[in-house]
Order: sequence, then C-alpha cells, then structure tokens
Amino acid sequence: MRVVVIGAGVIGLSTALCIHQQYHSALQPLDIKVYADRFTPFTTTDVAAGLWQPYITKPSDPQEIEWNKQTFDYLLGHIHSPNSEKMGLALVSGYNLFREAVPDPFWKDIVLGFRKLTPRELDVFPEYSYGWFNTSLILEGKRYLEWLTERLMERGVKFFQRKVESFEEVAQGGADVIINCTGVWAGTLQPDPLLQPGRGQIMKVNAPWVKHFIITHDPDGGIYKSPYIIPGLQTVTLGGIFQLGNWRETNNMQDHKTIWEGCCKLEPTLKDANIIGEWTGFRPIRSKMRLEREKLHFGSSNIEVIHNYGHGGYGLTIHWGCALEVARLFGKVLEERNLSRKPPSHL
Amino acid sequence: MDAVRVAVVGAGVIGLSTALCISKLVPGSSITILSDKFTPNTTSDVAAGMLIPHTYADASIHKQKQWFRETFDHLFAIANSSEAGDAGVHLVSGWQIFRNLPTEEVPFWADVVLGFRKMTDAELKKFPQHVFGQAFTTLKCEGPVYLPWLEKRLKERGVLVLTRQIQDLWELYQSFDIVVNCSGLGSRKLAGDSQIFPVRGQVLKVQAPWVKHFIRDGSTMTYIYPGASNVTLGGTRQKGDWNLSPDPEISSDIFSRCCALESSLHGAYDIKEKVGLRPSRPGVRLQKELLVQEGRRLPVVHHYGHGSGGISVHWGTALEATKLVSEWVHDLRISTPKAKL
Repeated sequence: MRVVVIGAGVIGLSTALCIHQQYHSALQPLDIKVYADRFTPFTTTDVAAGLWQPYITKPSDPQEIEWNKQTFDYLLGHIHSPNSEKMGLALVSGYNLFREAVPDPFWKDIVLGFRKLTPRELDVFPEYSYGWFNTSLILEGKRYLEWLTERLMERGVKFFQRKVESFEEVAQGGADVIINCTGVWAGTLQPDPLLQPGRGQIMKVNAPWVKHFIITHDPDGGIYKSPYIIPGLQTVTLGGIFQLGNWRETNNMQDHKTIWEGCCKLEPTLKDANIIGEWTGFRPIRSKMRLEREKLHFGSSNIEVIHNYGHGGYGLTIHWGCALEVARLFGKVLEERNLSRKPPSHL
Repeated sequence: MDAVRVAVVGAGVIGLSTALCISKLVPGSSITILSDKFTPNTTSDVAAGMLIPHTYADASIHKQKQWFRETFDHLFAIANSSEAGDAGVHLVSGWQIFRNLPTEEVPFWADVVLGFRKMTDAELKKFPQHVFGQAFTTLKCEGPVYLPWLEKRLKERGVLVLTRQIQDLWELYQSFDIVVNCSGLGSRKLAGDSQIFPVRGQVLKVQAPWVKHFIRDGSTMTYIYPGASNVTLGGTRQKGDWNLSPDPEISSDIFSRCCALESSLHGAYDIKEKVGLRPSRPGVRLQKELLVQEGRRLPVVHHYGHGSGGISVHWGTALEATKLVSEWVHDLRISTPKAKL
C-alpha cells in the first residue's frame, strides 16, 4: 500500500503520523511518502502563534467540536511527559477580551478552569468591559513540525521536496492513496471556489515577562483583526491582521504599525520588547473545512484521495481530531479493497 | 525650618521602599541610605518575589491582610503601567496544590489576589499526588530589577546612598536626627534582638522559559516560580542555619522535587544555585524606640523581621514605618525647633 501525503504543514505531517501509527502493523508493507514544496520553517504552520483556541462561534459542522476536543485532550496527555517542550507544547493561561457581554464559547469545558473575568482583572484592560480567563495550550508550529518530522523519519516515512502539479502525476507515480493536505494552495490541484487566503502578519518579540495570552475581540472587525498577544515557548507573538483574498506574501509596513500600536496599547510593557522578526502567512479559509474522500479516475486507473484542508485559523487547534478522522476514512478504503486483515491498531 | 536628617540602615526591599515612602510622605526630610550590601547581593535578590503572603504568628490577620493589600494594589498599579518592565513587576497565574485537604480552603488573602478559585478536577489531574488546589493570578516582584528601580527613584528624589557597614546605631548620632533600622538579620546585633533568626532558603534559578505558571506545594517547601529572566525552583526552610554556601545535595533534591511537579523541567538549562537567609521573627518589628546613652537621645524606628513575607508586605509595612517616622519628626519639631535632642 503506497500512500502519498501532499503537504508538510501540521495537517500533512500529523495525518501521516496518525495513519502510520494506526496501520503499520496491520498493513505490510505500508509505504508513506510526504511530498511538499514547502517544509518547516516555510509553511503556514510556522507562522501561527500556536495557541489552542477554536473560533468563538460554533462551527457549522458539529463534528469539528469533537475534533477540537480530541486534539486538546491528546495534547494535554503529552503535557506530563518530560519532552513536552521539545514537542513545542506548554500550558498557558490568559484572557479573551470583549467590548460587550457575549455567550460562553462552545469550548469552555474543553479548556481548563474557564471562568469570566472579575472587575479588578478588567481594570487591567480599560478598553474592554467583559472577558474570559482560562488555561489552554501552546503548540508552537515550528517545534511541533520538527518533532513530527523526527517521529516520521523514525518510522521510515520519506520526505521529498517537489511541487506537485496534479493528482494525476502522483497517481501515475504509483500511489494508491493520496492524502491532500495542501492547505491554502489546494486550489492549484483542484479548483475550489470556497477556499481563500486569510492573510495574517505577525511579529515575534522578546518579552519574557509576558506569561499570559491576551486576545481581543471586536464585534465589527471579525476574528484575528483585533490585537492579540500570545506567548510562545521562548518568544511572544503579536498579531491582529486578517485580510481575506490577499495573496501578498511580503510583510506590509501599515500592517506592522497596526500590530505594534494595537499590542502596545493593550500591553504597554511591550515598548521595551526587542522585535526578533516579522512573518506573513495565509490562513486556509473555507466556509467549512474539506475532510472527505474522493475517487479520481485517470484513464484506466483509480486513485483514492482523502482531502484534509481548509482549516482556517484553527489548524493546530483541530489537527489531531482531523488526522484521526482521515485515518478512519483510510480504514474504510482498506476495507473496500479487502486489505485490512486485522483491526487497525490504535496507539 | 531645617530638614530632618533621616538615616535608613539597610538596602534590601525594606530599606529602599521605606526610604521612598519617607521621601514621598514626610515633608522636610533629608534621607541617607546606609548599607554594606546592595542589589544584587541582598536577601531580596534571592527571593523569587511572589506575592503570596506568609502568615505571621504575632500579628492580627486584619493587619496582615491590610499590609498585603496595600502592597498588592501598589504593585498592581505599577504592573499595569509602562513602568512594569523597568520595575520588574508582572502578573503570573498558577496553582497552589495540597496533598491533604488544608484546614483553610480559602486563605485570608484570597480576595486580594485576582480570580481566586478552587481548582477543577480536570486541572488537578496534572498533579496526581495532590487532592486539592487553588488557582489564582498574582504578582511577581523581582529583586534584581525592582531594587535598582527603587534606587533610581530614590536618587531622583535626592536621597543619598552610601556603602557603609554600621556596627552600632550610635555611629549615626552625630549626622542624623532619626534612624530607621531596616537591617533584617543585622538587627540581631544592631538592635540586640535575639528573637530574630535566619531561616535558610536554598533555590535554583534556571532557564525554562516554556514554564508560564507558578506551582506551589501547600507545604510551601516545593515551588516553581517563573519570572522574567529565569524560573526559581525551591526550596528549603532551615531554621537557625547561617550557611550562605549552596549545598549540592540540596540542589539535587530541589530539582527532583520540582521535576516531579513539572516534568518539562528536566529540560531546564543554565542552572544556578543561590542561598538567602530569611530574617525571621514571630512578627514584623514595627516600633519606635528612643535610644538613650549618657544624656544623648537617638530616636529609632525599627522596621525588620519580615521572614518569608518581605516582598509580599513591604509597601504596607513601609507605610506604617513612615507613619512612625512622622511621629518622631513631629515630636522633634515641637520639642526644640532647631537643636538636637
């Protein structure tokens, strides 16, 4: 069984790992290859701040709620290990701030210690009158991708740098199943009018005294357009840019100003912070993520494609639940081909 | 009217903050700080500076809460200003956890810190050996940054800072009208106080920037306090032990105890050992004393003996010490306008 995963961001690598974990003993040989034109540190995942937090509104697909929870619980399980920081994982607490009262989010019982902010806490943020406090997780994209890459290489998964132009070329190369994790660039392999870039720009600064995430919400602006401050394992990410349809990959001066002014207003101590760098990434925005099977026919050959893209700004937040779902669909493919002799091993 | 000359002995957090309070609240005072040790070599520099109060046996809970609240509110205002980085004060959240149900589930200071609540069962899962916990947000006030910031504020206000080792408070009689004794453990000699004794604390200062929460075991022996430039791992409480050299076996023990609570600490690097002697006493000595010797009189305000709680209550006790200084100033002014007593 030859599997090709296209894409080496968090979605591609975690899906590859999940499939290998579940099927490598039941299915021999299981040959998994990762094809990508971008690897860490050049993927969208590398630009993400890495805070586990879904959108505050309920997803249109209730399955996503379950996938978010599975991801949180899976990551929380790793918190106790001595290697958690090597994975890019740490517990972090912080604030979500609003200008008016809002209903509690669907994920309030998934995170730890969720509660509303007290009046004295709100005094810290004079522009905001309502908010939440909870403990969540940081999963730093770059470190996590490095960790995933190590786990995959240990398992004999091979990586190839190449720009895939079509599913057909991969099929003709001998793949049986393709896992399509091409993120915001999925449209080049198969047109998808629902998929758009949600351009983001972030700065990383040295501000080790900042121990909490601070996420502001603007009822008119929409998600990610309002300033946010998210501490990582070594540096702090500052952001607040979201531009639908903007494909410009270079950093923009006006956006730099918007981020810096917005975040310094929120946390005045940032004025002392050294800026380490600035990056742009494209959130793969889609009205609903695409996680489904598709059979493609090229001449006389059929190939199974499992799409797993369009995770917007919550890819890291939902990745493991989606990987498990893809693994389940992969199991169905095997059943249909009478290939699974034993029940898949669940690690 | 001449300035009243005030000598403050000691340049730890108590000496410096008391001098600053006096400079702000006692008009017509001319202040000099005298100390043999300055930051980064004071006890305050070793302390992690977490605002979690210590309970003094000899002071009313009401008073202790007032001191803590005054200190917290004062530092909270600094933490929310753009000065926070320069002052070394920032917010930190975390957990205090207990292996056995504590007699007091809600301590007297619960409504002074922010967001105090019981930990949920899901949160306690992180600590399988512990059955109960409290979650809250408090402040960390870091000696090595706060003390230089205080010194800067003091120099701006014209306070003189001198390096001197004082063997006897009478040395100050000639040049000063009032002495404020903030010498911590030094008071054993300077004030002849046998009630003050060291409680030795050894800590590790390590690099582990991914640790964002404090974790404190309710027994208060084991704690993890993340700061702006390092994480403090502790600790010990060795009564009557004056030894300032770190003990490697103790360091090893502290490290294992902390790793047991936060296993990612196994990856900590750049580990440094430090020792501080907490100036412990059944209660803080906040008291006026008139020293008399062969017809000479020296008004003193004692302000020492904060034990583990120095940083947690420093501003509240400094305000009270300042009140006592004002009382001496008042007495001096009404007794004889110009001459020394």
